[in-house]
Amino acid sequence: MAHDSHDAHDSHVYVPEIAVDREGKEHVVQGWQGDYEGGKLGFWLFMLTEVMMFGAMFLALTYYYTLHQQDFLIASASLNRWLGGFNTVVLLFSALTMGLGLLKMRHGDVKGAKLMIWTTILLALVFLGVKAVEWTAEYHHGIFLGLDALQSGNEHSKPFGQILFFGMYFTMTGLHGFHIIIGIGLMLWLLKRINAQKVTPDHNILHFNIALYWDLVHLIWVFVFPYFYMIGAGDIAGGVVHGH
Amino acid sequence: MVTSYLIEKVGYYKVLIGLLLLTVVTFSLPEVVVSKYTFSAQMFIATVKAWLILMYYMHLKGEKTIGWSVLFSLLIVAFFFSIVMIDVNNFQYTDVSHITSPTK
Repeated sequence: MAHDSHDAHDSHVYVPEIAVDREGKEHVVQGWQGDYEGGKLGFWLFMLTEVMMFGAMFLALTYYYTLHQQDFLIASASLNRWLGGFNTVVLLFSALTMGLGLLKMRHGDVKGAKLMIWTTILLALVFLGVKAVEWTAEYHHGIFLGLDALQSGNEHSKPFGQILFFGMYFTMTGLHGFHIIIGIGLMLWLLKRINAQKVTPDHNILHFNIALYWDLVHLIWVFVFPYFYMIGAGDIAGGVVHGH
Repeated sequence: MVTSYLIEKVGYYKVLIGLLLLTVVTFSLPEVVVSKYTFSAQMFIATVKAWLILMYYMHLKGEKTIGWSVLFSLLIVAFFFSIVMIDVNNFQYTDVSHITSPTK
């Protein structure tokens, strides 16, 4: 039964379905629309699948690293860790703004919450921009998926361990970047839902879950950054010139 | 209401400072101390950062059901990690595997 009379202000309020039994008695059907805990648990289950997926990639990475330690250290030392470090700080602040946005929403400051979400989107775009600069520089140095340096068996081929390192580097940072793009889309959708008053201070599970997603994206970077950029830092690889 | 808002807000900033300090350590440690333990040290710092994010930014502190679910799935990942690491540390096919010597 549709309830068209409800306006946008309270359209997220659950109006129970009514079931009628054989004797004509009416019964309220249990609804789960307001189930905050269930919504949270469901989203955590999704995030655990993300952990499994990235966990498997880290497992492959560690497998190759164990077999090709020196090549990994040399390849790691050649990455631009200033750009990687800058992006780490950008993501860290974006996690803060996302968290503060949720806090403001929960305490009734919808305008402040929206400002924080826009700030997070801006920081996410900065992250992607820096990543694009980094990948472009690597491409101009002949290091990119499909180029000769990362194919075995030609005169420009890098040592095999380095081919594996860069293959994993582009795959994992690429997949992480894809999650950033999805995150931006989710935040734009969240803003739309807030404007439509479908997400409000009393009904904020969508905001909560998207903030959780953003924290997961940050969490994955917390491991991606040291694994690719920092393991070859210092002089551990034997005097390799840093940065592309 | 306002008090709890301020307490939570201050909490967010405290965690931010902790994460920033750990990022500085991540960045500077290999330049200061060149060691074969760089990799282990980096992963340890990352784990501490991850713990801070999970507990405070992802609100797992005080969450029993979800907390145990997360811990359980991480243990499964760790379990498979251990098995594979034991295997790869005893890798016997260096001369024939394409993972180690593609041209042979």
